[in-house]
Amino acid sequence: MTRLRLIFYLLLAGSVALQSSATAQETLDRTVRPKLGPTPEVRLPKIQKTELPNGLKVWLVEAHKVPIVAFNLVMFAGSECDPLTAPGLASMTATMIQEGTSTRTSLQIADELDAIGAAMNISSQTDFAGASLNCLTKHMDAALAVFGDVLTHPTMPEKEFVRVKNDRLTSLLQQKDRATTIATMAFGKLIYGNSHPYGNDASGTEQSIKDLTRDDLVRFYQTHYRPNNATLVVVGDVTMELMLPRLTKAFSDWKQADGTVIETFATPSVETRKLYLVDKPGAPQSEVRIGYPALARSTPDFFSVNLMNTILGGQFTSRLNSNIRERRGFSYGVRSMFQFNRLPGPFVASGAVQTAKTDSALQEFLREIDLMREKGLTAEELEYAKNRTKGVFVAGFETPAQIAGGLVNLVVYKLPDDYFVNYLKNFDAVTLADVQRVAKQYLDSSKMAIVVVGDVKTIRPGIEHMKFAPVVVTDVAGNPVGN
Amino acid sequence: MKWQLWAPFAALLLLFPGILWAQPEVKFEQYTLDNGLTVILHEDHSAPLASTMMMYHVGSKNEKRGRTGFAHLFEHVMFQGSQHVKKEEHFKLLQQVGANVNGSTSEDRTNYFESLPSNGLELAIYLESDRMGFLLPAITQEKLDNQRDVVKNERRQSYENVPYGLSYETIAKALYPEDHPYSWPVIGSMTDLSAASLDDVKGFFATYYAPNNACVVIAGDIDPVQVKVWIAKYFGPIPRGNAFERPEPQEVTLSEDKRLVLEDRVQLPRLYLTWPSAPGYTRTDAVRDVMADILSTGKNSRLYKSLVYEKQIAQSVSASQGGSEIAGELSISVTAKPGKTLTEIETAVWQVLDDMLKNGVTEKEVQTSLNQKEAGLVNRRATVLGKAGALATYFTLSGEAANINKELERFKGITPAEIVADARLAFARHKVVLSIVPQGKRDLAAQPPASK
Repeated sequence: MTRLRLIFYLLLAGSVALQSSATAQETLDRTVRPKLGPTPEVRLPKIQKTELPNGLKVWLVEAHKVPIVAFNLVMFAGSECDPLTAPGLASMTATMIQEGTSTRTSLQIADELDAIGAAMNISSQTDFAGASLNCLTKHMDAALAVFGDVLTHPTMPEKEFVRVKNDRLTSLLQQKDRATTIATMAFGKLIYGNSHPYGNDASGTEQSIKDLTRDDLVRFYQTHYRPNNATLVVVGDVTMELMLPRLTKAFSDWKQADGTVIETFATPSVETRKLYLVDKPGAPQSEVRIGYPALARSTPDFFSVNLMNTILGGQFTSRLNSNIRERRGFSYGVRSMFQFNRLPGPFVASGAVQTAKTDSALQEFLREIDLMREKGLTAEELEYAKNRTKGVFVAGFETPAQIAGGLVNLVVYKLPDDYFVNYLKNFDAVTLADVQRVAKQYLDSSKMAIVVVGDVKTIRPGIEHMKFAPVVVTDVAGNPVGN
Repeated sequence: MKWQLWAPFAALLLLFPGILWAQPEVKFEQYTLDNGLTVILHEDHSAPLASTMMMYHVGSKNEKRGRTGFAHLFEHVMFQGSQHVKKEEHFKLLQQVGANVNGSTSEDRTNYFESLPSNGLELAIYLESDRMGFLLPAITQEKLDNQRDVVKNERRQSYENVPYGLSYETIAKALYPEDHPYSWPVIGSMTDLSAASLDDVKGFFATYYAPNNACVVIAGDIDPVQVKVWIAKYFGPIPRGNAFERPEPQEVTLSEDKRLVLEDRVQLPRLYLTWPSAPGYTRTDAVRDVMADILSTGKNSRLYKSLVYEKQIAQSVSASQGGSEIAGELSISVTAKPGKTLTEIETAVWQVLDDMLKNGVTEKEVQTSLNQKEAGLVNRRATVLGKAGALATYFTLSGEAANINKELERFKGITPAEIVADARLAFARHKVVLSIVPQGKRDLAAQPPASK
């Protein structure tokens, strides 16, 4: 009790009291909302660009507020480069290059970075492989020495390869525990099929990981991890003058190689809606994914589609979330998104819904998608979406990590230098008719796949009764199983 | 020393690699309204953003048995509109200026925040004041029932349908005496959520949601003179609440080890060892935090290196000291590789712990942990919202917002000898041993070692 009274004591006595204005109290009409001030000018990062002698492009933004520096090396070596028969190659390569260099063991690499509180992460995404390093400015030299070494002199020791492989196989086993992972993987496989890299799980399969050899990884590294296939984004408490000699030194041994051509794959088309059930006996909720392959990052409709999706399922007050969570209470939260990849990525509406309400929730998902397709947005909604986009953009350049994230986006999708300058203008230019058109064009629920991971025994009768689509039961990998 | 990390030519500090423990200072101004509301202002004009962080000193430990989960359910109700704000309007008004909006509930406190472009600040202050002063007229049975369903779905999504998701509530129930408020989880039980009534909402609001049980931090690109006027205008008229009794710290001691087995829909068994430990903001909490790093942060940490890297009998390990307001917990958890039993895992964990207790830890291990804490702290201070949250938390739970600038001092001078002396006390206490095993595989659970 003493302790708690003490807190109250400090609260009352440890500060200066401020008189509240009596007149303000009397005249305050709370039904009158405060007016917004003018939206502040966004302070765009100033990007300085240069190139190292070995062809590595460097983009740098000075941000001196906090004594940290964030390095992000972008290489076109994402899981889209995995051979269709060898999913997991890109991701295993990214993991393995941290496991030893010609002068440092796996443990030494970790030890040197941990000792200065630096964080290094190397992993592959769909469209690129990223190596990031975040450290205090004062430890930059020590951190960069390790970072450069790892990227330019990896040895991928056989002993570590055996361990990492075993570790990956165990992770794949654990994926079967999570309804969200199962749903996302099955959905990708079912809408992209076997002849498109997006149909594969980027972590690989039990068989593909077992089949990988150390040589496969070395070859992947030699082909794709090259300075002429990479851009280094540096953001933080540094200057180009300070960085240039350090980067030249850290990456001096990195040699160019012949350019690689990244394959392009045809996007599979779906003709009719299908509903896939994956069994998770006893699950108290069903994980839902609804969608199909949709749009690439290069689509000219990027801005109008984003505004439309903001209202459909892109934020808390979206139609989907308002309906399924805030009005009906079927879920803790649902959403929709267009995943704009280098190749056309999926549109997906998703969420976890209460088992007993699965059929009703599916109906609401489809109702909202169809309504958007038929009627589009109101003028008020479009205005709301534009305002929100503006505010989020203004707030998006606060930390080195946020700024770096924005720049990585420019690099990966080869966006123009003035992209941020024109960003808001491009959104402002979108008309109601544009939004109407893209809703019609890109939200055709009659061709979408519906994937539900849940307690099949309980949810199936209700779902079949609603006649959403022919029902197919599949295993966790999306392969049909006997009914 | 403090100013140096903020110096414009900070990179020159590379010449003096010995400089440690310089903590970026967060300057702030604090005052209290007549109604008891504490106001904390922090200026940072580096980006055109402002954060409003409202923190109430109430959490699940203020709940009564039979109403577990209520503090968090109430947090949800706070987003359902107030006398002058319609349902869904709270979010709509904020989302359309680009705000990041959320709230959270812990055992000890509940917070609500808006991080937005600075032109929307007055709106955020207005909305926070309206629900502090005028919530009840807007709350209906329908709104309560809706959010009860949402929270039940949150429990399903975040705990029941997640592998190992019921571990914490199982451990807490065994670790604390039955009447201890940390013995139940913040999310609460389904039965108690079903029982929550409109009268409960009214009573809880009247007791805990008063200005004298809260603080509001306004941080970022702000004009303090203007903000003070807004605060007085919107919060000033709200009346003070009555005093209430807070749960007191009580010694948590187990009379013997408790061994529990839980079957779950998982592929791999996982072992959890949990000891009663020190509350937050104490020296012991800091010492054990460093020890936990030495055990499980990074490839060279002792448990990771031994169990995951060398023996390869575990897929992952984690050790942590969690200090809350009236008690703390020291815990270790290890996920076994396929084919390994938790008895083997527990034996291997004790080999590492016994070795540490016998042979001590090194200066280098301590320094590594401290350097990671320094880097972590600098990163957490990189956002206005992060600083606002830290100011509110220090004020609410440590008693003084000024402790934000003393975070690293708590760790100052920690030596290998202090860590080992404390570890001997910590690990000598009786503990809870929870084995989570795949369904039907109870034979994989940890058996009590014959020698211990």
